Amino acid sequence: MAAILQILILGLALGGVIALMGSGLSLVFGVMRIVNLAHPSLIIAGAYITYWAFKASGVDPILMLPVSAAIMAAIGVLLYRLMFERETNSVKYSEMTVLLTFALAMMVEGVLGGLFTNTQRVTSPDYATEAFFIGDVFIPKGQLYAGLVSLTIITALTLFLKYSRLGYAIRATTQNREAAELLGVNVNFISILAFAIGLGLAGAAGSLVSFVFSFFPAKHWEWVAMLMSVVVLGGMGSILGTVVAALLLSVVAAFVGTWIGATWSTMTFFLALFLILLIRPQGLFGEKPEMA
Amino acid sequence: MSELLQVTNITAGYGDGPAILDGAHLTVEPGKVHCIIGPNGAGKSTLLKSICGMLTIRKGEVVFNGKRLNGMRPDQILREGICFVPQERALFPKMTVRENLRMGGFILDDHKKLERRIDEILERFPILRERAEQHAGTMSGGQQQTLAMARTLIIKPAIVMLDEPSLGLAPKVIQEMFDIMKMMSAEGVTVLLVEQNALMGLKNSDWGVVLDLGRTLFEGPAGDVLADPRIQELYLGGNKAA
Ligand SMILES: Nc1ncnc2c1ncn2[C@@H]1O[C@H](COP(=O)(O)OP(=O)(O)OP(=O)(O)O)[C@@H](O)[C@H]1O
Ligand SMILES: [Mg+2]
Repeated sequence: MAAILQILILGLALGGVIALMGSGLSLVFGVMRIVNLAHPSLIIAGAYITYWAFKASGVDPILMLPVSAAIMAAIGVLLYRLMFERETNSVKYSEMTVLLTFALAMMVEGVLGGLFTNTQRVTSPDYATEAFFIGDVFIPKGQLYAGLVSLTIITALTLFLKYSRLGYAIRATTQNREAAELLGVNVNFISILAFAIGLGLAGAAGSLVSFVFSFFPAKHWEWVAMLMSVVVLGGMGSILGTVVAALLLSVVAAFVGTWIGATWSTMTFFLALFLILLIRPQGLFGEKPEMA
Repeated sequence: MSELLQVTNITAGYGDGPAILDGAHLTVEPGKVHCIIGPNGAGKSTLLKSICGMLTIRKGEVVFNGKRLNGMRPDQILREGICFVPQERALFPKMTVRENLRMGGFILDDHKKLERRIDEILERFPILRERAEQHAGTMSGGQQQTLAMARTLIIKPAIVMLDEPSLGLAPKVIQEMFDIMKMMSAEGVTVLLVEQNALMGLKNSDWGVVLDLGRTLFEGPAGDVLADPRIQELYLGGNKAA
């Protein structure tokens, strides 16, 4: 029983972090229909910002989180205006955004490789190697903190989307862009805002990821598939769906990793992606895809 | 004549594409129901989109209350008091009825006033009040169309433009929609609608506009349009039995 509880707790804590990693991807897809293949590479950029601050002057990664988020959000505004703004009316919008974000992912990887080499890194604040013990169950402090911070940020995001005026505008734009525009929403501004928030979430996730996983510039290829399966299972664009899917898959992966073998743990996500696309392409919380 | 909105010989199209409208004109008088009819692809929806600022007007003029609307953005035109409900997908399906109404007042800055107006609307439309916390996408077609029309009233508009409000609805429900439109116009809200079913539309309107191939063929009192033999033959033939 303790063993099961142990796996469950580890799975949930990591799931929280994965939920945060996926939420920005989901938001950007929801509002702009951009499948941002560069999202995981930008999480890694956030991780490097945090790693660098820790190495250079011992700044705590969790304290660095708002800084990393702000830097990535600012980069988001620039990237959106540079790459996507003039594509919005293009008939080839979807194809273009896939190619553009793919190219962006390669570029980010290249720049990070040039700056930081391809060595595996991990930020190592004290809590990353400490744990709480409750009876026989041990809870690594790093994963617990990361999971809790993630869920706090996602809760704040959800409240913002649900109750604020800008949140209304973002949700409206997600659900029906034309109607939102007709009711006076500046949909271009909302797109920039959502993209900036999406990348801010990537930056925030990067700070947490930096002490939870070891990382190197090319690591994002592994994460893109993992995050895709979370976002697709969650119903492309639904934040709540993304959270549920991340917690679910992470817990399943934790059990698979313990009972079947560590190498099969990551396979959980890929297999899930494959199965979801076959059986329920609209995900847990999504609607049936419409003919546009 | 005391026209509220005057559209004079406009040319408009999508992006850099060909002109879809060329020589469309329209007169809208306050407090009346106006109905645009015409075959599929005539440019009826395009005309409404041009008026509300979604498309650039290349030639001609749109004048509202003596003010030129050419070149204004949709949100600016909305603030002038012209509200457009597009064909079919006008609502936010995963927002509740109340949230949809709140979006209807997005341009209002006074939060308290907005909530008060929402309560007034819910008071007037019991179907909506009963479903205030229900997602719009889970309501029936008629309920959704009622919400789309009621939502326009939040900002107390001068003109409400409706693109095929009867689409996909049963005849009995369509009559209810026309009754709401009549109620709106009785309260001084001018209605401009596009209707596939020309007979039904004209019978429930004061003014008729016949559009074909992007230009206005005929415009006049709805009764005159209904009685005109050319219009009878062209657009009303198939509907005689109805
Ligand atoms: N988004 C668009 N981009 C390019 N062309 C368009 C677009 N929407 C409509 N058109 C073209 O404009 C013309 C008029 O279309 P419009 O939708 O205004 O017709 P309509 O009179 O509303 O027809 P219906 O009764 O079928 O709704 C059509 O030839 C159509 O192909
Ligand atoms: Mg139309």
